Amino acid sequence: MLTGVLMPRDYSPDGRNVSPPLTWRGLPEGTRQIAVLCQDHGAGRPPPWVHWIIYNIPGNATGLPEGVPFDPSERMPDEIAGATQGNNGWGLPMYRGPAPPGTSLHHYHFAVFALDTELDLPPGLTRDELLEAIEGHVIGLGSMVPLYQRQPSGNGPQFPS
Amino acid sequence: MNDDDAREKNDSSVISRRDLLRTAGAAGAAALVPHSIAAAAPAEAIEAGAAALPGPSIATAPAPTGPLMNLTARETEILSAMVDRLIPSDELGPGALEAGALRFIDRALSEAESDSAGAYRSGLAALDRYSHYSRGAAFVELSATDQDSVLIDLQTGGATGANVGFVGSSGSFFNMVKSHTWQGTFGDPHYGGNVDFIGWDLIGYPGVRLQVSEEDQRALEADELTPVRRSAYDYATFRADQ
Repeated sequence: MLTGVLMPRDYSPDGRNVSPPLTWRGLPEGTRQIAVLCQDHGAGRPPPWVHWIIYNIPGNATGLPEGVPFDPSERMPDEIAGATQGNNGWGLPMYRGPAPPGTSLHHYHFAVFALDTELDLPPGLTRDELLEAIEGHVIGLGSMVPLYQRQPSGNGPQFPS
Repeated sequence: MNDDDAREKNDSSVISRRDLLRTAGAAGAAALVPHSIAAAAPAEAIEAGAAALPGPSIATAPAPTGPLMNLTARETEILSAMVDRLIPSDELGPGALEAGALRFIDRALSEAESDSAGAYRSGLAALDRYSHYSRGAAFVELSATDQDSVLIDLQTGGATGANVGFVGSSGSFFNMVKSHTWQGTFGDPHYGGNVDFIGWDLIGYPGVRLQVSEEDQRALEADELTPVRRSAYDYATFRADQ
């Protein structure tokens, strides 16, 4: 998954709809915690439409593995122990991938925030609540903007009934 | 479905349910089981203000078995898997399947919810096509986690644009099945679901009571109140044929 490139369908409801693997490097010195946000500025009333919010990620993490559990009772992988998910645009504390209407092409902004403190944020924060909570603590920001477009109508799957 | 449609639909189903009671009461009487009479101890029945009980319970007839009336074997299999994920049997207790929600829905499709039969037919077929398309296997063959993920895609409308045949939004189909599953699990057993009061036990519902004494209130607050496990229609007050 890269900026300006169509993301694989497995990160959308056209596939398994699992959260994509992310890696980052060059975190500023003094990074104690990390938060990640994925949003579509071309959707939502008002925009953006939030696809994913995850925070309380340990400051020594180098990324997120593919398929972060969406069931809150399931343990987070060891390398991101303590990570917590906020509520996306559907009000669900999990990753839900892009399903842009029709055949429109949308941009998905992944933002990685490096924080200078260890916040113990509760699950289910909205985008605004997260941004408010991390205000004044952001010492670094990275981003990536992959694209997604669904298959043209009429080319959908055909299965024997 | 917009809110007005939903309201209209709810209103019409309330009316038809009330009409149903008149016949269901008679039909249910044929299926009486002895254990239902013993379901509430006499002292408890009095406490619950059930002195005017119209004889044996019509609520706790045994769950019928055999094929469903309105769904094909394949549709039954898919709906059964879906209902099982909506309220699974887990450490909290038995789930929607054990509570008879599947059979409740099947029965409703030829009664109060007959308008929804087509939506079930097309929705279940679309659900299975969507599972094949997005996860590479039939819905019933997916892991519980993948089934949950598929259902979330239905709920959030993500399955709508996959061109698999959902009529309108996949969210409408999801909400319809969810709503009927809730009704079949937590509704009064009189309507054929909530078998053995499984749904009421799940949520700790103290039961239908015509009177609540001070002691009852204290016991409820102390979480020591013995629940009344009796259909509302076992009370003369609520019987449609009175």
